[in-house]
Amino acid sequence: MVLRIRLARFGNKHNPFFNIVVAQARSARGAKPLEVIGTYNPIPKRPTNLYGEDADARPYKEIALDRSRAKYWLGVGAQPSDPVWKLMGMAGLVAPKPTTFDKA
Amino acid sequence: MPPRMQSRSVSNTLLPYLTSTSSSSSSLSSIPSLSSTSSQCLSRQFSATAAPQAQTKLRRQMFEWLNNEGSIFKHHVPGETNYLTRLKQRGNEGSETPRPFPNNQHFISEPILSEELRNEVYNRVVEQKKSVRVVSVELGIDMKRIAAVVRLVELENRQRAQGKPLALPYARAVHEMVPTTPLAEKGERQTYHEPINDLPAHPLTGSQIFYPVPESRSFNRVEAGRVFSGAPAMEHSEAAEISHPSDLAEKIMEDPNSIGWVGKGANARQILQPADVRIPHPHLVAQERDRLAHPNERLAVADLQSKRLERQDALEKERRERLQARREKKTTIVSPEDSRFNYRIKDTIYTTETTGVDGRGSKATGRRYGVPHRDRTRGEVKVPTRVEA
Amino acid sequence: MRNRASNTLSKGKIRQSWSKYNLYNMQRFRSPPTTNRTFFQQKWSAKAASRAYHGEQVREGQWKRMFNHRIRSVIPMNASDLAADDGSLVSSGRGSGLDKGGKPAYQTRPTPYTHMTFAPLERRLDVAIFRALFASSARQARQFVIHGAVTVNGQKMKHPSYLLNPGDLFQVDPDRVLYATGHTKTPYERRQGRLTRRKGKAQGLEGAEEAEAAPEAEESKETAKEETKETEKEDTKETLKALLAQAKSVMSAGKNTLAPQRKQELRGFQQAVRRVLSRSESSTVLADSLEAQFSQLTLLLKAKRSEKNPEKKDVKPRPEDAFATDRGDAELASAKKDTEATASDKLSEAFAQATLGNEVDASELSDEEFDTLKRALTQMRDNPLDNSKTYSTPWQPRQYMSAFAFIPRYLEVNQNICAAVYLRHPVARPGSAEVPTPFGESIATPAYGWYLRRRW
Repeated sequence: MVLRIRLARFGNKHNPFFNIVVAQARSARGAKPLEVIGTYNPIPKRPTNLYGEDADARPYKEIALDRSRAKYWLGVGAQPSDPVWKLMGMAGLVAPKPTTFDKA
Repeated sequence: MPPRMQSRSVSNTLLPYLTSTSSSSSSLSSIPSLSSTSSQCLSRQFSATAAPQAQTKLRRQMFEWLNNEGSIFKHHVPGETNYLTRLKQRGNEGSETPRPFPNNQHFISEPILSEELRNEVYNRVVEQKKSVRVVSVELGIDMKRIAAVVRLVELENRQRAQGKPLALPYARAVHEMVPTTPLAEKGERQTYHEPINDLPAHPLTGSQIFYPVPESRSFNRVEAGRVFSGAPAMEHSEAAEISHPSDLAEKIMEDPNSIGWVGKGANARQILQPADVRIPHPHLVAQERDRLAHPNERLAVADLQSKRLERQDALEKERRERLQARREKKTTIVSPEDSRFNYRIKDTIYTTETTGVDGRGSKATGRRYGVPHRDRTRGEVKVPTRVEA
Repeated sequence: MRNRASNTLSKGKIRQSWSKYNLYNMQRFRSPPTTNRTFFQQKWSAKAASRAYHGEQVREGQWKRMFNHRIRSVIPMNASDLAADDGSLVSSGRGSGLDKGGKPAYQTRPTPYTHMTFAPLERRLDVAIFRALFASSARQARQFVIHGAVTVNGQKMKHPSYLLNPGDLFQVDPDRVLYATGHTKTPYERRQGRLTRRKGKAQGLEGAEEAEAAPEAEESKETAKEETKETEKEDTKETLKALLAQAKSVMSAGKNTLAPQRKQELRGFQQAVRRVLSRSESSTVLADSLEAQFSQLTLLLKAKRSEKNPEKKDVKPRPEDAFATDRGDAELASAKKDTEATASDKLSEAFAQATLGNEVDASELSDEEFDTLKRALTQMRDNPLDNSKTYSTPWQPRQYMSAFAFIPRYLEVNQNICAAVYLRHPVARPGSAEVPTPFGESIATPAYGWYLRRRW
């Protein structure tokens, strides 16, 4: 059995919200996972109340992640899915995934 | 015949854009206009029968009032309020407190900050880098209002820079209708805009308590606070340390955790502090005490006060920075170059403490499994309760 | 929600509205009689009257859930009183006969608690918008929120029932505010607006056609360019003429609606402009945009003023473009400040001097006149004649607005950007209550009593 670190969709129609979960690869998306190690909100938020230099800051997306649990699961061989790989790459937990262009 | 415009060559305010001063407003009130013409019922020329009443009695009365007594309310007089209470006051001249509602004596139309005073506040806080507390005492403006003014002027500057539309004529009109607190001329004392040392009435003080005290003992505000919150009386030695309730203010400023607690568990609450601690500007009381102690040393008192304020500002700043650092420590912001977005990564902790034994704990990170989302329950209010600033 | 809140005269209810019907109702409102009426009846009618004003758009059940018998109040403290006495003065000697006679140590006026019954409703976003004078009624404020013209802390908020938290900043679209608080358009203005809109549409269509026909487009573009150049050459004189025309059209359009005072002002302005026109015969300064034209105008005025100085130079300065714009900007800034200070008395004094003082020669303009003209020009720019707007232009406050114009202390409003901060919850203090309510003690207290007892 393969363990995966992947996203599980919550939220409503047009209002997605994801749990970052550790689950068996063959289990259903909405099934109860082994662990919920974080969340990811893909709806960008616009920073408010910015003055001076910050005035043209970029909108942001929120990620919550338990780093120690993520490291543990990576250590025992859990495989992140592509989107989670991207998120974990930003958190500095895994090396960024090489693109197909880089491979060639 | 009233003097025509030719003699005045240029009126005081030229355009409709410019609203006028009160110098020539005598003719204003007596002139009926639009509504009067519409109020007269049309006579029908074709029919021999009498025209039916186009208006009810009440409507006729209303337009009658609007055209006579009420006509003064149609246009405002710059620099003056124009409330209904004017009708009753007309007999006795004099500037009473402006009350918009004739039946409600307890509601007063309070002055707002004039444009210059608002800019002065911004200038002192942002350019002269004075602390909000100091500016509040100097100009007599509540600290919350000062913070709001700085925020609003900042926003206004940004919108001006962006070329967004502004409501300048509207702003001018409102400032003409509403009483304002002007900025003092140079050399004059600034009139206080509002009381700055408001003590909120604490719910605990609402109760009436019979509490016998030995006559030998002086029962002051500190002890009264303890009685209200149900805390045991202080030891004599402890009470003797506090010569005046405002000593506590400085102690609490240095260490906010020095306030004692009463009750246990969920019922635990902090002991009610004396008014000297709970007012927004406790340092003013300390200053007054210095003055009473050293009546002839004004310079020394001022020096002490400035030192006290500096100390307080430093402490508050340190506390703010510590809070900010703690917040920043938990989150890291990543801004990838090939992305349009920043990513804010927040650290969470996954333990059985948060998830509970069955994994359904409400404190755990993420949406819960096996529990319907809260917005599905009946009667759940979906209107947000707060918007992050 | 259907609007049942009409300002009918027969019922005579007071509403949160600036309508003249409401003003009349407020003026003739008398508290319901209490003689020969049971306490229940008194409370009932007090509740009915006050609920027609406070949160009429809120269902009764919703309001009852919001009601709280505990009312916030503050007591302004005097620092010297606190310093002089640690509280033991009040308590000492109680019961031993020392407290007989004499005045109590602290004297305060009674706090009107029951006037604060409806304080929780003032937290609502729609009510706060109405209180900040951004809408002419609470219903209109509600509509602005629902139609997406309101932001809270920079984010769009679509719920009128959002309860503001202390420190929340809400902002309304300035155009909506100007529409809500300004004069309504006259039929003439409406027609003019339609015409310009149609013209704009037609031009847009032409533009599209031109874009389709590529070779023709170039030619037409060239001609267009030439045209624009010509228009660029339009000098200050023409702008002044345009101003004059505008003033005239304002006069003719608003014959009935304009206040007599305003008409006089307009006439005065027309005369001043005519005089400047006659003086500035030879000015060939280029001006490309309205802004630049404006700065040129102010510059010209300044030049004229220097001309009037004792040296009496006959040379008219013809500044280079860069110089002109620089000076113009500085001038603009100062002029802006001028306008901002209009409300102050300084200005009115200056005007009074200008009008009452020396006789004005027909051919020459005094300094004050230049000032007024300059100010008029700035205001002309801030408040232009624009038929495309939904309100009557140039903007002027709607009738009977001043009778309702007050801003409660718990809001800090910046009218320029139509934004306000909800500082704190309204409080009662000795002698006054911050919740604006048109009712007196005889209604406030029974209404509070009504909600004090739970009937649900």
